[in-house]
Amino acid sequence: MKGRSLKLREAHKSSGAASFCSILWDLCAQHLLTSSSNDLSICIHDPLLPSNSPQILRHHRDGVTALALSPNSTCLASGSIDHSVKLYKFPGGEFQTNVTRFTLPIRVISFNRSGSILAAAGDDEGIKLINTIDGSIARVLKGHKGSVTGLAFDPNGEYLASVDSIGTVIHWELHSGTALHILKGIAPDTGSDLSVLNVLSWSPDGETLAVPGLKNDVVMYDRDTAEKLFSLRGDHVQPICFLSWSPNGKYMATAGLDRQILIWDVDQRQDIDRQKFDDRICCMAWKPNGNALAVIDVMGKYGVWESAVPSSMKSPTEDVPSLQSKNSNGLLLFDEDEQEPSASGSLSDLGEDSHGESEPPSRKRLRKQSTYDEDIDDDLLSSLPKVESRKKASHSHKESLNNGNEGLKSTTSARLKMQEAFQPGATPVQPGKRRFLCYNMLGSITTIEHDGYSHIEIDFHDTGSGPRVPAMTDYFGFTMASLNEHGSVFANPCKGQKNMSTLMYRPFSTWANNSEWSMRFEQEEVKVVALGSAWVAAVTSLNFLRIFTDGGLQRYVISLDGPVVTASGFKDELAVVTHASHCLPSNDQMLEFRVFNISNGTQPLKGHLPLTPGSCLTWFGFSEEGQLSSYDSKGVLRVFTNQFGGSWLPLFSASKEKSEENYWVAGLNMNKLFCIVCKSPDLFPPVMPKPVLTLLDLSFPLATSDLGAETLENEFILKNTHLLQIQQRIEEMAAAGLDTTSLDDEAFNVETALDRCILRLIASCCNGDKIVRATELVKLLSLEKSVKGAIKLVTALKLPNLAERFNSILEERLLNETSRPATLPLTSSNHDFLTSIQSSKPSQPVIPLPSPQPSSPLFAKKGKLQEGAKVGNEKVEQRRTAIVENIGKVKSLAEVKSIEDMTNQGEASIGEIKNGAVNQRPSNPFAKSSSNQEKSSLFDAIKKMKKVDETGKR
Amino acid sequence: MAGQSDPHISLFSAQEVEFLGEDEMVEIVPNMRMDPLNLICGDFGPFRPQIATQVPLWLAVALKKRGKCTIRPPEWMSVEKLTQVLEAERNSLREFQPLPFHYVEIARLLSDHARDDIPDVYMVRSLIEDIRDVRFHKVETGLETIHERTHAVKLKNLSAMEANIVRPFVVRALQAFYKHDSPEMIPQPDTTAIRRRQAADRGPKRDRRY
Repeated sequence: MKGRSLKLREAHKSSGAASFCSILWDLCAQHLLTSSSNDLSICIHDPLLPSNSPQILRHHRDGVTALALSPNSTCLASGSIDHSVKLYKFPGGEFQTNVTRFTLPIRVISFNRSGSILAAAGDDEGIKLINTIDGSIARVLKGHKGSVTGLAFDPNGEYLASVDSIGTVIHWELHSGTALHILKGIAPDTGSDLSVLNVLSWSPDGETLAVPGLKNDVVMYDRDTAEKLFSLRGDHVQPICFLSWSPNGKYMATAGLDRQILIWDVDQRQDIDRQKFDDRICCMAWKPNGNALAVIDVMGKYGVWESAVPSSMKSPTEDVPSLQSKNSNGLLLFDEDEQEPSASGSLSDLGEDSHGESEPPSRKRLRKQSTYDEDIDDDLLSSLPKVESRKKASHSHKESLNNGNEGLKSTTSARLKMQEAFQPGATPVQPGKRRFLCYNMLGSITTIEHDGYSHIEIDFHDTGSGPRVPAMTDYFGFTMASLNEHGSVFANPCKGQKNMSTLMYRPFSTWANNSEWSMRFEQEEVKVVALGSAWVAAVTSLNFLRIFTDGGLQRYVISLDGPVVTASGFKDELAVVTHASHCLPSNDQMLEFRVFNISNGTQPLKGHLPLTPGSCLTWFGFSEEGQLSSYDSKGVLRVFTNQFGGSWLPLFSASKEKSEENYWVAGLNMNKLFCIVCKSPDLFPPVMPKPVLTLLDLSFPLATSDLGAETLENEFILKNTHLLQIQQRIEEMAAAGLDTTSLDDEAFNVETALDRCILRLIASCCNGDKIVRATELVKLLSLEKSVKGAIKLVTALKLPNLAERFNSILEERLLNETSRPATLPLTSSNHDFLTSIQSSKPSQPVIPLPSPQPSSPLFAKKGKLQEGAKVGNEKVEQRRTAIVENIGKVKSLAEVKSIEDMTNQGEASIGEIKNGAVNQRPSNPFAKSSSNQEKSSLFDAIKKMKKVDETGKR
Repeated sequence: MAGQSDPHISLFSAQEVEFLGEDEMVEIVPNMRMDPLNLICGDFGPFRPQIATQVPLWLAVALKKRGKCTIRPPEWMSVEKLTQVLEAERNSLREFQPLPFHYVEIARLLSDHARDDIPDVYMVRSLIEDIRDVRFHKVETGLETIHERTHAVKLKNLSAMEANIVRPFVVRALQAFYKHDSPEMIPQPDTTAIRRRQAADRGPKRDRRY
C-alpha cells in the first residue's frame, strides 16, 4: 500500500462541473478512447505517445455519455445526451450510421460478446437491443423504474444484467427477453447526480455478477440464481461508483466516491493496492494485454496506472478464462479474440458461441438446483444446450457447404464425405459479389450481402412476358431460393437462437394482396426448397419433406429416408434426392431419388441415382419435357427414361468436349443441353455480366466403332429415345382421352428423321462392308418408303445380294401390313395410296380429307401405318372397299421387283446419300417422268398412284 | 477536274453505306421468346431468352430499340483486339489490317444503339476512330503515289466506308490520267468500266482494283 500518485492529463474540458467520463482500450491496447458527458467529442489517444494530440470524433451534438467497442475492435459505438447512438469504423473513426434514437439521453451502451447485438439504455424506460447486422431493434426490455445506468452482457451470451439509478438490478434472459430476476434496492441510489452512474459487471468467466453494494462494498451475485455469494468490503468509505474486473477475473478495480481506487484480489476478498486521486474516478479500464489500468476522473483527466497489480503477484492477464468476456462498458478485455473468425463473430447471433465450450461444473450444479425451483425456467435452460449444439453443427455444416462448394466439385479431392445439400442452379457465396440463389430456364434470383443484410433481385430471362418483380431487402439472409412462373420461395438456415430458419413464399401475381407468407421452423432447418404448380416444398434437417400450398396451407409432412441432397419441382412432380447411406470407401456418393406427384399424392418413381465414380451431384432437375435429369461433377448428364423398367441414360459427357471449359447446367430439352460455359478454372458463372446460355448437343458416350460414324450412331440412338418418349406421351394422352394430333405429327417427323439417319448409317455400313449390320438397320426403318430407298441405295452401290435381301425384308413387311387390315378394318385405308386411281388425274386439284380420327388410340400405336395415312390419306376415303385388290396388287408389285419404279420418289435424303450416283437409271422406264418431279408428299402420292396404276396394267 | 460532270459516277452517302452495312450478321441475346422469322434475306431465330442467336444488324438494332435483346459486340470490337489492330496499323505503313468490311458502320451502329452492351464503349469508340484515322492517312499517302503511268491502285483490306470516300477521287484521277494518256479512246470504254466496278461494289470484296 504505497502512496504513489498518478499524474493525469486532461482529455476533455470539464468547465468546472463534474461530468461522467468514459475510458476504453481497444483490443490490442493500441488506442485509448475517452469521452465526457460535458464534451461533444470522442478522443482516440495513442497510449504510447500521450503527448500527441488525440484523434477527435465530433459527431454528437451533445455530451457523449457512453462508449463501446465491438469485440473485434472494428466498430465503435457511442451514446450521447443528444439521444442518439452512433456507429463508427474503428480505428479509422469514420462515421457510419445513426443506429438508433431515444427520446431521452442515453447513459450506457454495450456490445455483446459476439458483437451482433448492441444494447443501449438511458433515461428512457426501455433497454433497446439493436441487431448490429441490420440496425433493427431486436427487442426492447422494459422493467426499470429509473434511468438505466449500467448494462452488462453475460460473457456466455445468455443473460443481460442491468442496473438503474435507484439501485435495481435486473437479470434478463436474452433468448426470451424476460426478466428472470429483479433485485430491488441492492445498489446505491445515486439520485439525480448524473456524474455518478451505477454500474455492474460480469466476471470474465461469466459465473458472478459484481454490483456495488449499499455498504460501500461490492456484492457478488450468482449467474443463474442471482443469489448473493459474497462481498468485497474494505477501505472504501463511500459508495463504489465504478468497478472493473481484470481480464483473468482474478482482480478487481473499484473506484469510490471517496476518490480512491482499490485493487482487489477477488479470491482472497482482500484489497491489495490502492491509489488516491484529486477527483472522483468515474471510469476505469484494464489494459487487455498488460498489467495496467486506465482511469479517467470526473473532470475529464485520464491516466494509465502501470502495474496496478503488484509485480509480485500474478499478472491480471494470466490465465484468461476460455470464455472470453468484456466488461459493462463494452470494453474488450481479451487479446485472444482474434482466434475467433471475425466473420462468424459478426454473423452469429445471441448465444451462438455460448455452449460449444466446456461448461464449468459449478454451473451445471446450479442449473440442477433451478430445475427444482422453476419448471418453465428449467425447460428453457435445459433445452438450450441441445438446440445450441445442433445449431452449431448446422452452422459449421453451412460453412463447409459454402466454402466446400468448390471442393465439392473438384473431384480429385479424395475426401470421404457425404455431399452437402444444395439448391440446383445456385452458386457459392463470394464475398462482395452478387451470386445466384437460383438460375433456371425461366429466370434467376440473385443476392448480394451488403452491410449485414442482403439485396435480392428476381429477373426473368423473358422480360416481355415474365412478371416484373421489385428488388427486395432481405433481413433473414436467405441462402436458398427457387423460382417458377408463379412465384418464388426463399429459405435461410438458422443462425443462432434469434435467427430461426424461415421459409418465405412470394407469389408474383395473385388476386389477393399481401399473399406472401412465411413459416418459421424451430429446432429445424430448411435444407432445400422446391416449387411446383400450386405447391411449395421444403426439406428440412429433420428429414421432413414439408409441402405447402401456394396459399401457405401446410398440406403434407412426409418423413424422408435420409439426409436430403437436393430437390426439384416440375408442375405436379417433385423429385427429391437423398443420401441412401454413407458414401462408399471409393468415395462414391450413395444417392437415392424419388418422385412425388403432389396433386395425386402418389410416388411414381423411386430408385438409386447413378453417378460417375468419385463424383457428386451438381445439378438436378427436369428437362423442358419433364424428364428427370441429373448432372454430376464429372460432367455427365443423365436423363431418366422408362425404358428397361426405368433407367438413366447418360446423354452428355463434358469430357468429350473441350477440356478448358466447364459447363454449368441450367436446363435441357429433348435435343439440347442448356448451359453456361465457364472457362476453367471457374466452375460457375458470375452474375455480372449476365451469363448467356449455350446450347450443346446431347450425345451418348459411344465407343469408337469400326464404322467410324459415331455421330450417325449417336443420332440414331438419340432419335430412337426421342421417338420412344413421344410414343409414350401419345399413349398417355390417348389414355387420358386428349387430342394427340400434334404429337402424331411430331412422331412422324421424328420417324422420318430417324429413317434418314438410318439410311445414312446403311450407306456407311455398306461402304464399310458391314453387310449384316446394314440388314439389321433396314429392319429398323419405320417407313416403307425408306425401305425402298434403302433398296435403291444398295443397288446404286452395286450390292445386288444385299438388295435381294432388302427386297425380301420389304416383301415380308408388306405381307405383315396387308394382313393387318383384315383384322383392323378401320386402318386399312392407310394403304390405299398404292391403289390405282382411275378417276383422279395428277393435274387435278385434290381436296384433303380428314384422317380417320375416331380410331386415334389404335391409330397412335401404329406408327408404320400412320405414315401411310400421312402420305396417302388425302384421297383414300373412297378406296375403302378395295382391300382385296390392294393385297393382290402389292404382291404383284413385289414380284415384279420394279424397285426403281416404287422408290424413285423417295425422300430427298436418299438422293443426297447416293451423291447422285443413282441418278442414272438406265433400267427405269419412267426415268423421264420422275426426273424433274416435285418432292412434295401430295405430288408423291399422286405420282405413285399413277405409276402403280401403270404397273398394274403391265 | 476531268470526269466531274460524268453522270455515271455515283457516290454513296454515308447513310447508304451504313444501310449496306446493316446486312452484316451480329450475335444477339434475346430476352423474349419468338418463333423463327422467315424473311426474304433468310430465316432467323428461333429466339429464346438468354440464348444467343445470329441476326442481321438491322434486325438486331430494331430488336434492341424495343428492348427485346442485348447485342453481343463482335469479337474484334474488344478493347484489346482493337488496341492490337491499332498497333499493327501504325507499324505497317503499306498494309491494312484485316477488319470487317463494314467495321466503321458496325461500330457506329452499335455504339449508337447498344452502348450499354459494349464494355468500355468510349474506349472502343476512340480506338475505332484512331484506327480509321490511321488507315485513312495511309490511304491518302498511298494515293499520293498516283501518277500518269498508274493504271490501277491496289488497296487490300480496304473497308466499305474508306473505299467510298476515296472512290470518286481515285476513279476520276485514274480516268483523267487515262483520258489524257490516250485521247483517241474517249467515253465509251469508261462507262463500261464503271459499271463493272459498281457491280463489284455489292459484294464484300476486299481486293479491289481501280
